[in-house]
Amino acid sequence: MEKVTPNTRAQDTDDLEDLFENAPCGYASALPNGRLSKVNRTLSIWTGYSAEQLVGRRFLDLLNIAGKIYYETHFAPLLRMQGFFNEVALDLVRADGTTLPVLVNAVVRRDDSDDIRFIRITIFNASDRRRYEHDLLEARRTADQATAALQDLNLTLEAQVAKRTAQRDRAWRLSQELLVVALPDGIFESVNPTWNELLGWRDEELLGASFVERTHPDDLDAAQAALTDILTRPLTVPHESRFRHMDGSYRWFAWTASFEDGRIYASGRDITVEREQADALRQSQKMEAVGQLTGGLAHDFNNLLAGISGSLEMMQNRMQQGRFQDVERYVAVAQGASKRAAALTHRLLAFSRRQTLDPKPTDVNRLVAGMHEMIQLTVGPGIPVDVVGASGLWPALVDPPQLENALLNLCINGRDAMPSGGRITIEIANRWLDARAARKLDMPEGQYLSLCVTDTGTGMPPEVVARVFEPFFTTKPIGEGTGLGLSMIYGFAQQSGGQVRIHSKVGLGSTVCIYLPRHSGEVDVDDRTAKLAVLPRSVQGETVLVVDDEPSVRMLVTDILEDLGYTAIEAGDSAAGLKVLQSNVRIDLLVTDVGLPGGMNGRQMADAARVSRPDLQVLFVTGYAENAFLGNGHLASGMAVLTKPFPIETMASRIRSMIEGSKAKARRP
Amino acid sequence: MSAIERHNTKQAGTGKTAMVFAHGFGCDQNMWRCVAPSFEDRYRTVLFDHVGAGGSDLSAYDPTKYASLHGYADDVVELSRALGVTGGVFVGHSVSAMVGILATKKAPELFDALVLVCPSPRYIDDADYVGGFSRVQIEELLDFLDSNHMGWSQAMAPTIMGNADRPELGGELTNSFCRMNPDVAKRFARTTFLADNRDDLQGVTARCLVIQCSEDVIAPQEVGEYVHRNLPGSELVLLDATGHCPNLSAPEATIAAIEAFLRGR
Repeated sequence: MEKVTPNTRAQDTDDLEDLFENAPCGYASALPNGRLSKVNRTLSIWTGYSAEQLVGRRFLDLLNIAGKIYYETHFAPLLRMQGFFNEVALDLVRADGTTLPVLVNAVVRRDDSDDIRFIRITIFNASDRRRYEHDLLEARRTADQATAALQDLNLTLEAQVAKRTAQRDRAWRLSQELLVVALPDGIFESVNPTWNELLGWRDEELLGASFVERTHPDDLDAAQAALTDILTRPLTVPHESRFRHMDGSYRWFAWTASFEDGRIYASGRDITVEREQADALRQSQKMEAVGQLTGGLAHDFNNLLAGISGSLEMMQNRMQQGRFQDVERYVAVAQGASKRAAALTHRLLAFSRRQTLDPKPTDVNRLVAGMHEMIQLTVGPGIPVDVVGASGLWPALVDPPQLENALLNLCINGRDAMPSGGRITIEIANRWLDARAARKLDMPEGQYLSLCVTDTGTGMPPEVVARVFEPFFTTKPIGEGTGLGLSMIYGFAQQSGGQVRIHSKVGLGSTVCIYLPRHSGEVDVDDRTAKLAVLPRSVQGETVLVVDDEPSVRMLVTDILEDLGYTAIEAGDSAAGLKVLQSNVRIDLLVTDVGLPGGMNGRQMADAARVSRPDLQVLFVTGYAENAFLGNGHLASGMAVLTKPFPIETMASRIRSMIEGSKAKARRP
Repeated sequence: MSAIERHNTKQAGTGKTAMVFAHGFGCDQNMWRCVAPSFEDRYRTVLFDHVGAGGSDLSAYDPTKYASLHGYADDVVELSRALGVTGGVFVGHSVSAMVGILATKKAPELFDALVLVCPSPRYIDDADYVGGFSRVQIEELLDFLDSNHMGWSQAMAPTIMGNADRPELGGELTNSFCRMNPDVAKRFARTTFLADNRDDLQGVTARCLVIQCSEDVIAPQEVGEYVHRNLPGSELVLLDATGHCPNLSAPEATIAAIEAFLRGR
């Protein structure tokens, strides 16, 4: 065992001093009067006061105001009476004014005669513990609140459940919609009273029944598909279907539904009135459109009829006056008006896309050049019309009269857009659309002819441009435009395999371009240039069968045929016509209407006749395009179409060429 | 339950004259353990706990009643009458000094003499009046009491109470010399430190002794002098003792001062 030497005692003293000064708690000694006599470095560091500053002060001077009061009223008396106190929670106020939560122990040390030597005060840093306590208190407060809420809930739960159940029951009963719980196969399990109110059925008539039984037969497939879908995802976009009322009528419902836990939950809103209103609205819109159309047509036709009837009257006057040289003028005027009337009906049919197009390889340069003078006369002298043709222009495959109509229409539109004058430019060009250009124009790639009409007029805002191709859309007052012009051009261009595009800016004018597919081949000579004076006359007494239910047309055609030297046989319906065709009578050509009474249409009659006369030449003459009957423009060889009304010379040359063609064919080996 | 039981009343001594000792805020009748026995040879000493303190009946605590010192004074009157006290001596410490003033004005026949140990009719300074605390300081005290429990941690005290691991702490709390329910303490602090009974000093007919200490943070010397000035015929003794509790820190001097006062009557 080592000896304790003075040297080691000095070391022990140092050790104890170090322990006192640097212990992990504050130490202080106080005299019986409460004043501090000694403090350690730890307390000094914690408080920010030097030992010199602390000695001589009372311990309670280091406390906050509440601590001072409590110390004086509670803990000082306790220390006096008990001789100690332990773990008293107080806040020390540091030199910088901040507080340090501490736990304080104090004990009175007495000497042998029981007099107080000093009071030992030990101070623990309680920052962490105070924070835990705070958190614990918060947690307990939360738990207490939750417990209180739970107790409250327990007390009121039954009442709440009853109330909520009553509310839900009320919602079920009072809903204005049909509510139903159904099995996955559509069998009703539960229905609300609204079913009875809206449809008359009683619960017992519905429960156990399938929705199939009373759903409108036309809606059933869609309804069943919707039901199947519900099983995989909620029906959120309402499904509309009809359900039978007890009185046998049907009512419309918009259904939404979900599938959960083996049941379908669905609700149906009665939309019968909405549907009726929507139908009524559609009807009135249709009527308005028809009004717009008929108003415009009446206006146009009245103008044309005025030209025709006026001319006829003038012709009569002049003939009575013996001024025959003037008659020619009025004939030309009446013919022009008649042609425009024919063009008008063609436009109508083009709009409905039921016109009978007769596309031919066409030199558009020549067509436009031929129209130039007429267009200039139409738009008037205030608006110069320039034509910019193209050299080396490709032929286009198009129905020439329809293209003329379209061009005239565009120029009239241009004129109307320039009330105070301007300029119209007609430009024709070859357009080779590569993929990018085609995409931009929303057309297939390829080679096209473009015919563009540009005016320097008022132009149109984008919202008007967006609608110009809509039928009946017009910026003109009722009675002045049918609202069909551009929509008919659109229909015509589409039907011709082309497209129409418009570019317009307010104040800068508009450009409308018609794109037509290129025809790779030669252009035929226009047979319309033939004149009545050189009409070919029959030399061999060929026979033509004319079938038409309209006597005036029949008479006209017969007269033309006889003028040409042909023999004409007439029939008023398909039965009579077929009878002739199935006889042995010589018939070189059949001229027939397509729409016919007598059990067959013209096409059927012709087909029946060709059983016994396979080479029979047939010329269909039609008022409007029964395209379906005519094989959508793909006629068998030896068949042709002529639309009413027709110029007599066209009819004559067509008849002549068909009969000649047939003879030429017959001569070939 | 009678007032006597309710207040955990302890009587001793054989004298004809009753001497009623009332403790202040923070403690119970133990406050008087070093003083009261000295008077048992001549007086019938009565020690009691205010409701909410010591061994009183906590269930009798009525926050409305005890929101004013009049509630405590009414208890003193009721208890004293129950004990048949007349012409007695009332010794009140701290806030109970003012409780005694109020009681004697309610029932002047009870006490001929009042001993007021470290009294204060108002703790908050008011114009020229020095109470020892600014209003801000008292509000800080009350705020602090609302958010913290002073002394024993609010969260830990109940745990310690039932903590088998540390019986020494539980013992200290349950057998404390200064037992007071924390919630009652909070309310008692509010009642005490917001009280203003300066006007009640007027018209006191009993003889009064004011005992004042030096360096009392609760009731400074100016307050003792104010009470003395405003109680006609009162005596003032400045003890050679520091702090707010001379009955504990200097019991001999306290006894001597009381005896001198009582002898003089």
